[in-house]
Amino acid sequence: MSVVSDPVTRDVRRGRTRTPAPVKTRGRWWRFTFVLAFTVVALVPVGGVFFLALRPGARSQSTSSFTLENFRYVFTNGQTLQWLGNSLSVTLTTVVVSVAVGAPAGYVLSRGRGKAVSGYSLLLFVVQALPVITAVIPLFILFAKLGLVDSLLGLGIIYVGASVSVATWMMAAYMDSIPVALEQAAWIDGCSVFGAFVRIVLRNSLPGILSTAIYTFLVSWNDYLVALVFVRSQGKYTLPIGLASFFQQNVVDWGQVMALAVIMLAPPVLLFTLLNKYFSIGGIGGSLAGQ
Amino acid sequence: MSPSPTTTEPSAPGTAPQRSPRKVSTPRRFTPRSPARVHNQQAKSRRRTLALLVLPSVVLLLLINAYPLVYAAFQSLHNGTLINTGDFVGLDNYKSVLSDPAFWEAVRFTAVFTVVAVLGSWLMGLALALVLRSDFPGRSVFKILLMLPWVVPVVVSATSWNQLLSTPQSLVPHISDMLGLGSPLFLADPTLAKITVILFEMWLNFPFMMLMISASLASVDHSVYEAARMDGASGRQQFFRITLPLIARSTYISWILMTIFIVNDFPTVYLLTGGGPESSTTTLVVLAYRAVFQNFQVGPGVAIAFLMTFTLVVISTVLYRQVRKAHV
Repeated sequence: MSVVSDPVTRDVRRGRTRTPAPVKTRGRWWRFTFVLAFTVVALVPVGGVFFLALRPGARSQSTSSFTLENFRYVFTNGQTLQWLGNSLSVTLTTVVVSVAVGAPAGYVLSRGRGKAVSGYSLLLFVVQALPVITAVIPLFILFAKLGLVDSLLGLGIIYVGASVSVATWMMAAYMDSIPVALEQAAWIDGCSVFGAFVRIVLRNSLPGILSTAIYTFLVSWNDYLVALVFVRSQGKYTLPIGLASFFQQNVVDWGQVMALAVIMLAPPVLLFTLLNKYFSIGGIGGSLAGQ
Repeated sequence: MSPSPTTTEPSAPGTAPQRSPRKVSTPRRFTPRSPARVHNQQAKSRRRTLALLVLPSVVLLLLINAYPLVYAAFQSLHNGTLINTGDFVGLDNYKSVLSDPAFWEAVRFTAVFTVVAVLGSWLMGLALALVLRSDFPGRSVFKILLMLPWVVPVVVSATSWNQLLSTPQSLVPHISDMLGLGSPLFLADPTLAKITVILFEMWLNFPFMMLMISASLASVDHSVYEAARMDGASGRQQFFRITLPLIARSTYISWILMTIFIVNDFPTVYLLTGGGPESSTTTLVVLAYRAVFQNFQVGPGVAIAFLMTFTLVVISTVLYRQVRKAHV
């Protein structure tokens, strides 16, 4: 790794600092070339998915180099639509509940002072370090008793639990940037603490909420381990489990596997591309270190 | 049983004279009490509201995160299965795990896998963040494109990497054959499989590092560099004396988060190699998963997960100290 990256950083520094102003454009194009080359290589696995999904398979009669028949096959055969529906409903529920739980908790973390709050913030940090695998085994036994194994509700509950600590951090990090003076003014005007939280802080936290929503969306849409353990019947599969099992059955026909892969990667990629200017993760570091 | 107003006075001596003017000035909203008590009551109700706001998340944290931990501790001391609790066996599970060569093999690989992947993805993220800091054509497009490995679901990327690497007809072995390097089977040879899994993990995580470092670079004041240049600092000196120290805090934080993430990361290895060939890429999580859900040995599996958690807590505490030290 250091073999790859060391010359890079060194050259970057050289490009920026040693070249006098007139030659600066050369540094600009050098940077452009480096990033372009890196991006092209790094995106081969992503581009390959689209390429194979749109290419006719071995058994196809189509002679053109571009076809949608893999998608037609994936949608008409198998349970793709059901898996997509399962993934969407679990993920959207998780996003809404996580934000609803994380936003008020983040407000407390951002504004509260004292022992209880710093204890809570430590709890969040410790929880984040716990391996999901440790939690999954006891939860499987507990959920089996409650009838939540092989149920989308059970899956959603675990996703919310798994993302709530980071969601709280992200909300707290954003709310730190909203001046307390705004709420204080509202209190003086007779607004309750809860009222000020909803009307002043929450209303101004849209970027923080979107950031948290994107994060929780990625966590639950992309999860594999929890779904692998908790989902048993094919009708309850989410897309990751569906894709993995479809892959095992169809190793020969990459076109169909990749068509399903495209269906699975499209929502997070679209969401991230459209909302990326709202997405900031740097704040997590700040609220973690600021304890 | 009839304390006159004057006997209560000593408890709040300074407030007594203000009483009557206050009554007059704020007749509607406040009940006639001393300002201190009014303030106290406000603080109390504020605390109560805050407690209510934080309650749902505490319940979730206890139910989904803390309860399983306690129960898992209990399980690691029993020889139960997924269905029944089993008998108390003391530390037998830990003893059998710690004397198992497979466990130590997994420890070694997990350590190498984590350290190399954390540092590698950090270096890649640092290089990209530094380049992307200055302006050049298409910068904002690259910023989005370079996030894709992190955004694309790992099941999809593992499938795609598999397609690119696994058979002699795949793209990467094909290219290496054209270059005269033979067509190695990346996922069938133990050493190559190890390298591949590490590269895959780096590929998955460099965008996160890039994002973290970009965020902390954005907060560095450019005039610092101008001053350094005036004083004749070379590019190398500027990097090691200014840039690195200024992003040190976020670097340690990103290392902590990434170490936790990679040690706990199950799907990356499981989906790409399944821990093979011949358990060469088996990490501790994969080993724990196998023990519980394939060999149905809940006790040893949970014991492995526990030892892993303990190590993680130690490592993050050490790194966390560094964060505190680097506080600028």
